[in-house]
Amino acid sequence: MALAGEDFCIVAADTRQSDGYHINCRYAPKAHQLSDKTVIGTSGFYADGLNFVKKIKQRMEWYFHQHDKTMSTTAIAQLISIMLYQKRFFPYYVFCVIGGIDENGKGCVYSYDSVGNAERVQYQAAGSGNELLQPFLDSQIGLKNRSNENETLNLTEEMAIKIVKDAFSSVTERDIHTGDCVEIYIIRKDGVECQKYPLKRD
Amino acid sequence: MAAKTGFNFDNYQRNLFMEYGKGNNMKLPKATKTGTTIVGLMFKDGIVLGADTRATEGPIVADKNCEKIHYIAPNMYCCGAGTAADTEMTTALISSNIELHCLNTGREARVVTAMTMLKQLLFKYQGHIGAALILGGVDCTGPHLYTIYPHGSTDKLPYVTMGSGSLAAMAVFEAKYKKDLERQEAIDLVAEAIQAGIFNDMGSGSNVDVCVLTKGKVDYLRNYIKPNVRKEKEQVYKFNIGVTPVIKESIRNLVDVVDVNEMEIDQ
Amino acid sequence: MINLDFLNPAENNNVLEQEEANEYMENLSVPTFEIPLVHNPVEFLKHQTHAAEQCRLSIVHGTTTLAFKFKHGVIVCVDSRATSGTYIASQTVKKVIEINPYLLGTMAGGAADCSYWERELGRRCRLYELRNKERISVAAASKLLCNMVYAYKGMGLSMGTMVCGWDKKGPGLYYVDNDGTRLEGDLFSVGSGSTFAYGILDSGFKYDMTPEEAYDLGRRAIYHATFRDSASGGIVSCYHVKQDGWTLISRTNVKELHYKYQDEPKAPLV
Repeated sequence: MALAGEDFCIVAADTRQSDGYHINCRYAPKAHQLSDKTVIGTSGFYADGLNFVKKIKQRMEWYFHQHDKTMSTTAIAQLISIMLYQKRFFPYYVFCVIGGIDENGKGCVYSYDSVGNAERVQYQAAGSGNELLQPFLDSQIGLKNRSNENETLNLTEEMAIKIVKDAFSSVTERDIHTGDCVEIYIIRKDGVECQKYPLKRD
Repeated sequence: MAAKTGFNFDNYQRNLFMEYGKGNNMKLPKATKTGTTIVGLMFKDGIVLGADTRATEGPIVADKNCEKIHYIAPNMYCCGAGTAADTEMTTALISSNIELHCLNTGREARVVTAMTMLKQLLFKYQGHIGAALILGGVDCTGPHLYTIYPHGSTDKLPYVTMGSGSLAAMAVFEAKYKKDLERQEAIDLVAEAIQAGIFNDMGSGSNVDVCVLTKGKVDYLRNYIKPNVRKEKEQVYKFNIGVTPVIKESIRNLVDVVDVNEMEIDQ
Repeated sequence: MINLDFLNPAENNNVLEQEEANEYMENLSVPTFEIPLVHNPVEFLKHQTHAAEQCRLSIVHGTTTLAFKFKHGVIVCVDSRATSGTYIASQTVKKVIEINPYLLGTMAGGAADCSYWERELGRRCRLYELRNKERISVAAASKLLCNMVYAYKGMGLSMGTMVCGWDKKGPGLYYVDNDGTRLEGDLFSVGSGSTFAYGILDSGFKYDMTPEEAYDLGRRAIYHATFRDSASGGIVSCYHVKQDGWTLISRTNVKELHYKYQDEPKAPLV
């Protein structure tokens, strides 16, 4: 999942990798740092995800050498959309979200389907637990279906991290594919920090 | 005319049509599966049964603390894996039949009797009743431990496991089982096997239930170990008063209120 | 491309011209895609993405979009919901694709297909402009899009779009879909909720409406489609294409429209 604040962004993913009822790995990172300002989270078929991230990094490297600058988050967002669509007839089995800081210093999140339909959003859940997670985010961050609509959310970093932790511990309770550990990437103007928290392992 | 007892197959053809008929692709609701780890072993003075407490519906946890060790008779208990409703109903049915059997014969029922009843029932339905069971008990001929598969085959073994976590649990038994274990050793081993299932099999989870059956005594240790207590949440998610939108208000008078004083005056 | 230079050796001298031609072809060529190395790639893809088969790779779908020509130009109205299977993937999709300041495309069917090909269309329209020093006509733009998707006919693309704009001939409105159909018309509605929208549209349409009446008609048609079609919903966006390009008229949550229309007196039955 990913969520954007005013001047920061959070990308978080659990680290369980499983097949059917079997856990293949308890620490298989699904969130990857792409640059000082961008982090990607992947879910779906793990090998496709790894390969896809590798290819993005390669394209970013080429971009860096050609233009002598790091790709901006919005440029990466468009690149991912095109890279996914390039495989329209043989799609990557990945659902990704990227989070980062855009050119104006604002937090941003982009979400994709498997063939590259992109949308800029404030928050997004993807993967096996998304149907449990998204409604929680809609309620707590989107403030959906509340009558006092003038109420605005001033999302601070501490609050966002708390919400992310609670979201993951709650999904772990009810989704069997989620668990073991959660990695939370916090993207700020001055760089990226990664925090790890344990989840239930059953 | 539908049969008075047993299963009712009235909707069978209709449901088939809804699922596979031309132009239909309705998915019928899935039954809750226990996706389970259940184990049993024989020790020096009796039987220890163990089970996890998670019930799943596909990838979603339906019940975090369900009971999978079912009562059959005062000297017999039965762990169930598979379709939750099937395990519950079959054990309940056999339990009442055993009770009647006891009253008829005036003796305590034997484990083999219950086992035979179960396997005959399951065989009759050719695996359509999705119950995989571990039956344990102590009777006049000593302690017995059986596994019963959904198709009706049975095994009699000193240590057994069933359910989706059976491989994880069996690995523990194969490594550590010995003949004539002490009571506490046996309980510990069962708990360890269940925990192997809880942590390594995603269909199993939450707590460990244990049931110790010895001659003339049953100890049902519900939630013997709780290895998965949830940590406290970081925040409290309370909604402020008034967040639920009021779209309209409508108050109806369901009764006519008559002023008592008026009535008195009328009289 | 097969090189047939040896047939015409005189041409070979003009290397510059050749390069230019190559570049031209490169710019115009349709991007290539990887095809699965299986016997029947189309069936393979269907197996992966088809909605009925408990879609492993479900692609977002479901829409109501409409556009109509009237006295004061073209009105375009769309909803904003994206669904994959029964799950609402998003309530905030931008289904009007702003190709350039005087061309709009709408999105129905596969969201990625629409946004990708209409982005490609935007690139080609710009190239056309630079080459010909004039804006592309709506007819030509829609034909470009039509030809691009026609090259992939039967491969599983899913797109139902309306290309709307204003050119020398006046307001233009074309319907283009993944089969390669291209139709000119005065009124279209596309998507799962289109039948409901047509009902409102046909009964309320008058050629010489005021713009305000036209906006209301468009929004009303989309609202009623969202009311009856579970795959449509979210926010109703309304655009107006005039001679000097398009303008965004409104974005309204269907919830607001619901309570607004609810309080209105119902039309008498005949």
